[in-house]
Amino acid sequence: MFEKFNQLSFVIGVFFITVAIILIAGYFLSSALHFDINLYTGLGMMVFGLVMVNIKE
Amino acid sequence: MLYFKGINPTIAMHLHLADYLVIFVYFLFVIAVGFIIKKRIKSSNDFLNSNRSIPLWITSLAFISANLGAQEVLGMVASGAKYGIMTVHFYWVGAIFAMVFLGVFMMPFYYGSKARSVPEYLSMRFDEKTRALNAITFAVMTVFSSGISLYALAKLLEVILHWNFDLCIWLAAGIVMVYTFLGGLTSAVYNEVLQFFLIVLGLSPLVIVALHDAGGWSSIQANLQPELTHAWKYMDKAENNPLGVNFMSLIFGLGFVMSFGYWCTDFLVVQRAMIAKNMSEAQRTPIIAAIPKMFMPLIVVLPGIIAIALMQSALQSKGYAIPLDDNGGINYTMTLPSLIAHYYPTGLLGVGITALIASFMSGMAGNVTAFNSVFTYDIYQSYFVKNKSDQHYLTVGKLITLFGILFSIGTAYVAASFNNINDFLQLVFSFVNGPLFATFLLGMFWKRTTGHGAFWGLMIGTLAAAATHGLTIAEGKGGWIAPMYEISSGMGQAFIVAAFSWIANFFSTIIVSLFTKPKPDEALRGLVYSLTEKVYAKETKWYLRAGPLALILLIITIALNIIFF
Repeated sequence: MFEKFNQLSFVIGVFFITVAIILIAGYFLSSALHFDINLYTGLGMMVFGLVMVNIKE
Repeated sequence: MLYFKGINPTIAMHLHLADYLVIFVYFLFVIAVGFIIKKRIKSSNDFLNSNRSIPLWITSLAFISANLGAQEVLGMVASGAKYGIMTVHFYWVGAIFAMVFLGVFMMPFYYGSKARSVPEYLSMRFDEKTRALNAITFAVMTVFSSGISLYALAKLLEVILHWNFDLCIWLAAGIVMVYTFLGGLTSAVYNEVLQFFLIVLGLSPLVIVALHDAGGWSSIQANLQPELTHAWKYMDKAENNPLGVNFMSLIFGLGFVMSFGYWCTDFLVVQRAMIAKNMSEAQRTPIIAAIPKMFMPLIVVLPGIIAIALMQSALQSKGYAIPLDDNGGINYTMTLPSLIAHYYPTGLLGVGITALIASFMSGMAGNVTAFNSVFTYDIYQSYFVKNKSDQHYLTVGKLITLFGILFSIGTAYVAASFNNINDFLQLVFSFVNGPLFATFLLGMFWKRTTGHGAFWGLMIGTLAAAATHGLTIAEGKGGWIAPMYEISSGMGQAFIVAAFSWIANFFSTIIVSLFTKPKPDEALRGLVYSLTEKVYAKETKWYLRAGPLALILLIITIALNIIFF
């Protein structure tokens, strides 16, 4: 698992998944973040992050 | 120079926990990249040149990301608001053609010569004095640019978030220092790719919602003066368009002299192609990079056009306005921050702010890593301490990284104290950069060009740039020798200064070369086009070859210019 952090695409993927979790979780858990644009951006970043994580360099 | 004074206080943003969390996660990841790369650093070549082992997709994205600093992101959005769609000329005229030329014609010499830097190529092709001139001016320019980028970041965060200026300076510089010191060029390049995706994905939602709010492109066209929505139609005369230049000045000044001078000779960007795994990938790096570059106006020009459209009477109900400056005029520099403040709620606001921070840090790290390579190889190793162990140069490279960052911090404070010094430095830099491409063009394609010719051509070209600026005046600037000729815009003046400096360099290099002794042919093999064996691409698939890719890119670029004519 930690070996994968040597791959840049994996690191970028994990970063965007983390940001996506903040936005999506925030949308459902906090009224301050309950905006559609947060949800859609979070979902977009989640998809991008998952693709990057699964790319084999 | 980005202008921050006199901001309308309504732009001030207030971050919440989620926003800070996004910024913190970003800082955590960029530092983590430094630690991950650290274990790969065994030699000075690893630290300063990435051991020429970086995959194509990374070198390509790093190539444009090194240019995706504050000037690009904030500056181009500001230009989009001020000049409209004509700002795309900085991409479709002022970048793509030069990037393609670099990949197809120049990379074989940069990469094939095994030079570790652009100044080192100049020493192989010409002589030591030409290298020293280029290395010293480049090192000074990069470290000052890094400092100015740092100042701009701290000032922006102070204005829009009310963060402490000193804290912003030391925090941003400290983070860049950690990851560049640990992982050198590889770490900077990896983070540039992360920053590229962050800028694109972080600002894309802004473009979508703002465009939707403005009623789409057709509504923007309907509400703006036609000069702001046509790229070429009003370029026949300088006074007919907001750029204040005609198509001839634009094509020669920007499209040839300035564009080729930057993209084909500036080590900051060329370095990203020089660290590719092999010649084929080195050639394709700027060509692949040209693809996202071609569409970058969607992220950095379109928001500016949308912003100015939203301020027109028919769309004033949307409640958006670009802040004003001290004189009551529109402060275009604040276009992007004000759009972010208007459209991004908590959460995404953190993403937008992080994207801005990333653009500044990307620009700073790019400058610092190019500076340490040139200083270590082309100044320290060449003129001060030769023939030491590789470990010695690795240590020096790391120390120079620290020095570069500290010097940048010092420059940032100088910039904060003497605002005019930034304009002065950028003016001097333009004098030095303007004539550069003539030296490389002649050096690579005319074997008769001599070291004396190159050196004196550069000197005369730089003096010609200064003289042209001193004899012309535009928007109150220049004319310090005698204001003999008035130009309608500062942009037009910059193009004319660059054009004159290039012509002066080109002809003076030829004249001096004809009167001085050239290097023998044997010493120029691999460095000059006519004396270098043509290496044909080994790739069997056409889409992996530089030539066909370049051709497709040029066709698309021309098509885009026609579509938005």
